[in-house]
Amino acid sequence: MAQSETPPSPDGTKRRDLLATGTLALGCAGACALAVPFLESLKNPAASFQSGGMLDVDLSSLAPGQDMTVQWRDWPVFIQRRTHEMLAALQKPTHLATLRDADSKIRQQPVDAANWHRSVRPDYGVLIGICTHLGCVPSFEKPGSTPGATGGYFCPCHGSHFDAAGRVTQRAPAPYNLPVPPVTFLSDTKIRIGRSAGEPGFSMSDIQQI
Amino acid sequence: MPAPTRKPAPSSNWLDRRFPIRTLLHREYVTFPMPRNLNALWSFGAFLIVTIGFLIASGLFLAINYTPDIAQAFASVEAIDRQVPSGWFLRSLHMGGVTMLFACLYIHLGRGLWYGSYKAPRELLWLTGLGLMLMVMITAFAGYVLPWGQMSYWGATVIVNAMRAVPLFGRPVSELLLGGEGLGNIALHRLFVLHFAMAFAILGAIGVHVATLHVVKSNNPSGIDPATPRQTLPFHPYYTSRDAFALCLFLMVYAGLVFFLPDLLTLADNYVQANPLVTPRDIRPEWYFAPFYAILRAVPSRLSGLFLACGSLAVLFVLPALDRSPVRPATLRPLVRLSLPLAFLSFILLGIAGMHPPTETWLIVSRFAMAWWFIHFLVVMPLASEREITS
Amino acid sequence: MIRRAFISASAFAIFYGLTVVPASAETPAQRGFAVFQQVCSACHGMEHVHYGDLTALDISSDTLRKWAADQDFPDGVDDNGDPKTRHGTLSDPILAPYPNAAVGRLANHGLLPPDLSRLAMTLPGGAHGIRNILLSYAPTPPGVKLDEGRYYNTALKWKHIGMPPPLQDNMLTYADGTRATTNQMASDVSVFLDRIAHPHALQRRRIGVFVLAYLAVMAVLTFLLQRRIWKS
Repeated sequence: MAQSETPPSPDGTKRRDLLATGTLALGCAGACALAVPFLESLKNPAASFQSGGMLDVDLSSLAPGQDMTVQWRDWPVFIQRRTHEMLAALQKPTHLATLRDADSKIRQQPVDAANWHRSVRPDYGVLIGICTHLGCVPSFEKPGSTPGATGGYFCPCHGSHFDAAGRVTQRAPAPYNLPVPPVTFLSDTKIRIGRSAGEPGFSMSDIQQI
Repeated sequence: MPAPTRKPAPSSNWLDRRFPIRTLLHREYVTFPMPRNLNALWSFGAFLIVTIGFLIASGLFLAINYTPDIAQAFASVEAIDRQVPSGWFLRSLHMGGVTMLFACLYIHLGRGLWYGSYKAPRELLWLTGLGLMLMVMITAFAGYVLPWGQMSYWGATVIVNAMRAVPLFGRPVSELLLGGEGLGNIALHRLFVLHFAMAFAILGAIGVHVATLHVVKSNNPSGIDPATPRQTLPFHPYYTSRDAFALCLFLMVYAGLVFFLPDLLTLADNYVQANPLVTPRDIRPEWYFAPFYAILRAVPSRLSGLFLACGSLAVLFVLPALDRSPVRPATLRPLVRLSLPLAFLSFILLGIAGMHPPTETWLIVSRFAMAWWFIHFLVVMPLASEREITS
Repeated sequence: MIRRAFISASAFAIFYGLTVVPASAETPAQRGFAVFQQVCSACHGMEHVHYGDLTALDISSDTLRKWAADQDFPDGVDDNGDPKTRHGTLSDPILAPYPNAAVGRLANHGLLPPDLSRLAMTLPGGAHGIRNILLSYAPTPPGVKLDEGRYYNTALKWKHIGMPPPLQDNMLTYADGTRATTNQMASDVSVFLDRIAHPHALQRRRIGVFVLAYLAVMAVLTFLLQRRIWKS
């Protein structure tokens, strides 16, 4: 080519700089493009096919005041059957005053659980047992097991307290209430976790924080 | 590109006074004096470093998805090929990378032989390079077992049994290494760890090899080291730009292998899960081990076969002692100029023979080729250094 | 002539993963999937392939989801310790209908139907070999005595195979109306199995074209750069 035979002149240096910069830039772009498949391989291969798994739970053996834990999509799900005392405790104004989000304003539950008992039916509570602080699993305080225990949850890691409806107290480090999974009652003693009858379009990714 | 393009930092530079990395890089990769007359064969070292980089990067990401357990290894590799996003690309990059690595390694080595790069003062450079090749071979062997296909299993079985044939310590060493008699779960897990750990050992050994190079400087086709700075060129921008161009051509070949011919050099039988009850019909090694496999087969005795296969590499290690002539390039030595290409041809013929079933013809070919390989190094080279009249 | 041009054009299009084929027509791989689903899968599985992987062959995920849901997968035990099953999802493997290899052998005169995940790669002759076997059944010639459960097939070295002739004309109906002759089905299913044995092959080539083009541009640029540097 004729242009490359010109001796180095101000013009020539400029063109050469353009060539060098362009080559370098294109090379860097190629290196970045090469990084894409590497990062992509870190994604969960099954994620694109993830279907909402359903779990049917039989509640007939659950006595009032008891709780049980089942596993749904790798999450521990607490199911409690509430006594009248527990329900009364949930509505006490002195208790409500100690809560961060007493009215469930923050999206931590499907619409049909955004009520004072944070569940589809008041006598059953269904919660995802993962503390919203740093992800430990809180433990159930059976009503009457200690003085003042009203069937709430206590997180052993940093001492967050949740009431029986999974609402966090103001003094706790956890910022949000415990998440509520979508629940449908199939009969009086059988529930299906994974689909919300009150809000069929609900998905767990709608939740503020798990 | 290892070379920064910036000017050397002033000595007042904070970092440089504490850790002179910029001065060092500038000295070793910018102003570093290179002979003026290097040809394209001198780019293969750069190819090797780039390929090793690709292999380690893809290997790390493959290891994330691999399960070193005989019940799941094969399935986990299939999952990488099918379900892991871009997994097929990473695996092809790794498999194609091994082929490119060995191809470049053999050419790099052949260039060293042709231009006498193993002679004083570069004996240590030569030995570290050969050590690196042995490490790469061990790593490649261990890595080939990991997919736990039929060829993985039976190839490893043959090698392990060959190792056991070594008198006295063959058996105890193989048992220590594999954790038992046969190739099983324990062996697979250990080979995985070996493969993974060796990758980084190789990286370290490359550091030693390159450091040695930077002490003794590059050899060149004339075999006479540049005497004055006028006979040299700075590494940057002269050889960086030339290596960059060569690298683009090299990567095009590599990409062709990865994207268009992924099955060219892989053995289909390795896509059948390992079965200890059935040996595949024509068992053969990957192409880069074929020359040594051919030697193993060409000798009727198991122990001698192993001895000669190892010996074919060992002669390279003692080459600086065998070839005492001060003249470096083969082009200036009439005898070597004739004998060395025949040795190269022998190596290639051994490779082709190793890929074919051991028929009478191929056995004869491998025996002749093997004989010439040893004659060249053990007879011609010492003789030539005594008698040869160099031009 | 025009027909040949069309064929080579569509072959080109398929090679680069472009679809110029009208939407109603099915690709050979899609038809081959129908053959696999309705014929082969009665005995064979593809244990490394997930139902969802077949979306790469432009098979709708609804079809696949429905098919997967028809299969039962073991799902641990219930409260009484009895084994439970669940419906399959897109991330489940396409398994053979037998619970284990022993049952598979028992059901097939002692021979286990091979897994088809990589068959088009590992069988000598590849996809063409599969097609050849499917079309090489013949009546047993007089004088040849075969064991029970062996069928005369000229494509094999020993002239017999454990698989009963799987294809008959019009045994299924293609959605696009192509006539389901034995020949057609054998070709389609071998294309399908070839795609299965070489996952991501189209994507691989498509990306490869871009990578080579990029490297070619880089080669030209670096060549100009190094020439200019070496000139001075």
